[in-house]
Amino acid sequence: MAKLVGVALLAAAVLSFPTVAANPFILSVGVVIMSYALLATGWNFVGGFTGYISLGHAAYSGLGGYATGLLVIHTGINPWGALVAGAVIVAIVAVPIGIASLRVRGASFVIVSIAFVLILMLAFQSWSSVTGGSNGLRIPRPFADDVLRPEQHERFFYLHAAALAAALLAWWLIDRSRFGIGLKAIREDEDKAQALGVPTFNYKLAAFVMSAFVTAIGGGLYALWFGFLDPIFQFSILVGAYMVLMSLLGGIRSLFGPLLGAVIVGYAVEFFKSEYGDSQFHLVAMGLLLGVVVLFMPEGIIPAVQSLVRRFRPQSSSIREVSQAELAEQRREEQVTEGASR
Amino acid sequence: MSLLFQSLVLGVLLGGLYALLAAGLTLYFGVMRVVMIAHSAFLILAAYLAWFFTTQTGIDPLVSLLGTVPLFFLLGVGIQRVLIKRLRPATLTMMSVLLTFAIALVIEGMLGFVFTGTQRRIQLSYGGANLEVFGANIAVVKLIAFGLAALSLLGLYLLLTRTKFGQALRATIQHPEAAQLVGINTERVAGYGFGIGLATAAIGGTALSLDSTIYPSLHWHWIGPLMAIIVVGGLGSIPGAAIAAMVLGIGQSLLQIPFSTTWAQTIFYVALFATLMVRPQGFFGGRLAQRF
Repeated sequence: MAKLVGVALLAAAVLSFPTVAANPFILSVGVVIMSYALLATGWNFVGGFTGYISLGHAAYSGLGGYATGLLVIHTGINPWGALVAGAVIVAIVAVPIGIASLRVRGASFVIVSIAFVLILMLAFQSWSSVTGGSNGLRIPRPFADDVLRPEQHERFFYLHAAALAAALLAWWLIDRSRFGIGLKAIREDEDKAQALGVPTFNYKLAAFVMSAFVTAIGGGLYALWFGFLDPIFQFSILVGAYMVLMSLLGGIRSLFGPLLGAVIVGYAVEFFKSEYGDSQFHLVAMGLLLGVVVLFMPEGIIPAVQSLVRRFRPQSSSIREVSQAELAEQRREEQVTEGASR
Repeated sequence: MSLLFQSLVLGVLLGGLYALLAAGLTLYFGVMRVVMIAHSAFLILAAYLAWFFTTQTGIDPLVSLLGTVPLFFLLGVGIQRVLIKRLRPATLTMMSVLLTFAIALVIEGMLGFVFTGTQRRIQLSYGGANLEVFGANIAVVKLIAFGLAALSLLGLYLLLTRTKFGQALRATIQHPEAAQLVGINTERVAGYGFGIGLATAAIGGTALSLDSTIYPSLHWHWIGPLMAIIVVGGLGSIPGAAIAAMVLGIGQSLLQIPFSTTWAQTIFYVALFATLMVRPQGFFGGRLAQRF
């Protein structure tokens, strides 16, 4: 019940934001944050469930943006149709990429994900006859000319919110399904999961393709909103790293973790960019933030708060998820106390 | 024909530099299972230090190695002791990627902050000099860079095979638990191994500064090829990384004849994906390399 109220409050806060926002600039920051939230939630389909940390998810948001833009320009179909068709194309492209990169785990997977985004950057810069190369790609606005800029921000804010809600719902459904349990088993111990009969490779691939689809929708919406794409910014490892940072900060195990992280990181990025402008100071700030998160709260804010709450509650006997890291920690503590008592 | 030979020679020179840089990455991974994304950022940092040293004093950038090599060694030991050691063993590999990524961002940001984003280049008296070898023109600076790489790789090889410390380091790479059982302090060895890896970045960065234009975000340009080399070679295998570096360096150089420079760059990534399809653990990696 409390959860339902929380979700309702969150929805109300999101829906009322455009009317509360003081000016079009704040509203545009809101759109950026919603865009980040959508990308981070998309990332969390593979990162959160399977534990495969991809630093190169900007590949899928960038591809989604370019696919949407090129479809709008060259086929003249409805922009929203182009958005969905673009994301479907990206999901199809993600199948062979997933087959190649999911064969390796851990660090190698991260390296492959970085490599893929770098390939795309090189390719989209060189292939200028189609993508506009470094001159960028201008995408026509999806709304008629009489829709003014603030109004357009408002519409895109709601569009992003709707896509985010759909993505969150999908994540929640998977989280509670047998498929989701299989994915989480892969995250904790892939070999044991396989031994227990989880079709690990197919599960990983399915999660990967879904993640690419959601991320591509995020990229496509951004392209329609911003109206201009440049390979350097679309296929940037930095964007991929933001998705990881946001998800980790909020907590990759929880539904709203990436959203919370996106609000914090998105606000911080916009703040540092507007405050410190051209100096590279925002990179230092982001680097320090990422370092602190990795060192001191790798589980994220939401799980940290939850465990704090749990500590002050009577111990419940129900089964709850325990991660392998927690188990290892427990075992080590037990060993230490055993050793001390001896 | 002479164009082909010229490219081949340039490819060997380039491959040598790649090998030096990838050797550092292999060391980190071997001794600690750490993927050091910040390696190329330290490379650019060393290049900037060499540039700064030369513009301030007018002395040859190679002299700056006397300062940067020990400095980077200590930095490496420090990073291992203060930061990497804090990570939980269960998630070490993954989290080390993110932690070193954070270090890379901080270095890039600080370089931009201190030296601005302007492109820099060292003016050398011998900067334009060429040597002719069997009809191929080779810039002297490239030859010096290759010499530095060859010397330090030889030094690294001797250190690893001829000294007690090298034996301990190799034992730690092969089997950390067994190394502990025979009385090796693997923690200390890992720290020194990390320091040596970073010292190779100091040498590589200085070599790089001799003949290329540097700017803070240049490290993104290097990270992909270097990572591809260590995966193709097999994570943690030093000979594997050296061979992959040579092959890919020569391949890149030869591909520049029919294609543009940008497309030649993609050979690293093509090789990477092709390797994964055939041998996910890389060409010299053990069975375990696939897991990390």
